[in-house]
Amino acid sequence: MAGASQFPIPQRPDTGRRATAESPVAKVLLVGITLVFFSLFLLLPLFVVFQEAFSKGLGVFLKTFRDPYAQDAIRLTLLVAAITVPLNTVFGLAAAWSLTRFRFSGRSFLITLIDLPLWVSPVIGGLIYILVFGSKGWLGAWLSDHGIRIIFAVPGIVLATVFVTFPFVARGLIPLMQAQGISEEEAALTLGANGWQIFWRVTVPKIKWGLLYGVILCNARAMGEFGAVSVVSGHIRGKTNTMPLHIEILYNEYHFAAAFAVASLLALLALVTLFLKTYSEWRAAEQLKQL
Amino acid sequence: MSKQKSAPKKPLRHSLPGFGLTLGYSLVYLSLIVLVPFSALFVKTASGGWGHFWETITAPRVVVSYGVSFGLSFFAALVNGVFGFIGAWVLVRYRFPGRRILDAMVDLPFALPTAVAGIALTAIYAPNDWIGGLLKPVGIKVAFTQLGIFVALTFIGLPFVVRTLQPVIQNLSDDVEEAAACLGAGRWQTFRRVIFPALLPSTLTGVTLAYGRAVGEYGSVVFIAGNLPFKTEITPLLIISKLEQYDYSGAAALGFVMLVVSFFVLLASNALQAWDNKRKGML
Amino acid sequence: MSIRIHHVTKRYSRYPALNDVSVEIETGELIALLGPSGSGKTTLLRVIAGLEFPESQGTVLFQERDVTRLSAYKRKAGFVFQAYALFAHMNVFENIAFALRVLPRKKRPPESTIRARVRELLAAVQLDGLEKRLPTQLSGGQRQRVAFARALAIEPEVLLLDEPFGALDAKVRKDLRRWLREFHERIRLTTIFVTHDQDEAFEVADRAVIIDKGVIQQSGTPEEVRNNPANEFVRDFLDL
Repeated sequence: MAGASQFPIPQRPDTGRRATAESPVAKVLLVGITLVFFSLFLLLPLFVVFQEAFSKGLGVFLKTFRDPYAQDAIRLTLLVAAITVPLNTVFGLAAAWSLTRFRFSGRSFLITLIDLPLWVSPVIGGLIYILVFGSKGWLGAWLSDHGIRIIFAVPGIVLATVFVTFPFVARGLIPLMQAQGISEEEAALTLGANGWQIFWRVTVPKIKWGLLYGVILCNARAMGEFGAVSVVSGHIRGKTNTMPLHIEILYNEYHFAAAFAVASLLALLALVTLFLKTYSEWRAAEQLKQL
Repeated sequence: MSKQKSAPKKPLRHSLPGFGLTLGYSLVYLSLIVLVPFSALFVKTASGGWGHFWETITAPRVVVSYGVSFGLSFFAALVNGVFGFIGAWVLVRYRFPGRRILDAMVDLPFALPTAVAGIALTAIYAPNDWIGGLLKPVGIKVAFTQLGIFVALTFIGLPFVVRTLQPVIQNLSDDVEEAAACLGAGRWQTFRRVIFPALLPSTLTGVTLAYGRAVGEYGSVVFIAGNLPFKTEITPLLIISKLEQYDYSGAAALGFVMLVVSFFVLLASNALQAWDNKRKGML
Repeated sequence: MSIRIHHVTKRYSRYPALNDVSVEIETGELIALLGPSGSGKTTLLRVIAGLEFPESQGTVLFQERDVTRLSAYKRKAGFVFQAYALFAHMNVFENIAFALRVLPRKKRPPESTIRARVRELLAAVQLDGLEKRLPTQLSGGQRQRVAFARALAIEPEVLLLDEPFGALDAKVRKDLRRWLREFHERIRLTTIFVTHDQDEAFEVADRAVIIDKGVIQQSGTPEEVRNNPANEFVRDFLDL
């Protein structure tokens, strides 16, 4: 989303005074349109997920999770997130540090490159790894000779997930670190601190909310990714199915209530994500205001 | 103690430490995750030969999918432009109960896994109940038609226009509106002549971003689409079916087409940003 | 500690921010780098501090020691930033103690020594009792003095101040100028400060180095400069 500012920029205080404003009729109309449109497109789908999940009763809901395939899917989703999020967090920190603390040519190209996964279809995110690691791909022959499975196995899923989620931590940090400036880090340098000391004692406390924001989004996307993972997974039940893929299988087999039951877990995750995201955004903005 | 250097060293560029380490790590990471796999895409596309490439991307079934993916995304982005504009205005300028919650919820399409959105939208618009059930007696079918795809793409693009516009609306200074009022302009005139032109570039940027996202969308669309050949197939789906048939170069060719479209969308969005910045500089 | 700068050039784009600049500063002097904005005075200060590095030929010597390629964290040059750059998430005590806390383990003093030293520094800048406050809870003048005390914690051999009084009200500025002059009389630390205000420069400093467009225009005591302006620019800038 190059162009959308990630954090609410500290604004002039809203004095609530508007010498010129719309007529009350117009206001009601506009608010009404907005409420209808947003309810239709945002609230209704969310509501439907939970309603359908419990449509056959609590018993069927719980039975869904006793299914070993469902449990495997949940485990795999958690595993993939547990690998992806730390990897991308380290990348995000390194990229943000190099892009905001130094001037060098090619900076803007790099920033655009980091946004790439947000612009391309997730299916392409899976396609490129098949072209490299798939049986007819570049390394296909070498891999099968050595008995290493990447496509249709967990490593492939991790790779595809890493691809679609690596921008998030970086994008949470870059505008924040740019806005904060480097004076504090330079001050620490003149006081005798070395690189790691500057990073841990000065930078990290300043960026913790931006970091949380990025990690939350990265995690949400890592757990929910469907398109890219669908391409590389092979849909092997119990082995290479993440939760979203398991939902697809249940749905295609007409186990609707079960599909929605698993979906409701992810929907719950989405709500928690939204809450934490809003909270950390607010804290980061507050911190910026103090500068 | 520093040693005496015999020849002048190249000037150090950076006072803060860690440049080499962080940039190096980032570049290696990006190369492995992005650059190398993408070069595989380009190589594979080229290796099939021009004839095969052209055949693949102009096959009738594929061309229909372009209309579905690129065409419907366009209309969805326009709808988001209109309603997103109104929504952004309402969220920034008005106070009403539940505003904060609604504001937080705008990001839902961004936070909700696409598969979850996909099945939810299908359930809503399938002929059995919810809205699909309401429309059935009137003869309107949504799920498994292009209309259903359109609805899903609108859902997906909703946050982009709203989030792009909100900070811009917030930054509009009161005084320009007040000046217009003092000069005798009514509210609608002020909006048409003063406010909307100031917000137009950001609106277009938001629409472009929504379009870029919709064009590549898979999970939210593939359930409600029904995937009928020549009717409701999206291009990403065709890429997957080619991969399932081990037609790697065909899949790469279609992937290449999608990349080209994404590239132009990116260029358009950057150009709009530049236009917007230039205008702001003049104000 | 004396400071010698020989033929320093610094380029950011096509035009050099510093163009073949040479300056000699004796131990214990209080020098003002005076010039209009964009003249290169802050760049020169940052080169001395080790926050910027000159192009290949120039050298910076601290008491005859070549520190040109030495990073800031090894130079022991106390630096007070224009906007103070206090660590916003640390209280006054921790800000001042920072330099002692980041010393390599062998040289690091015990906690009791750190506490004593911080109290000493707080007293030296007349801010006793404010240890637990956060920077946001301090006035501009107080923040300024915390930044001072923090820089002094490294026991610097030179003190560098970037527009130290810029962001403050007129009355606070006057008080701090007087305070700086008294402080310097007491401690006799080589001190260089950057300003665009000639009254400030001449009131506080022993000597002023006037700089414009990256080139030194004149260097001398207030009387010398006022009585014998070296060129048109100096005459103009000082309103003579």
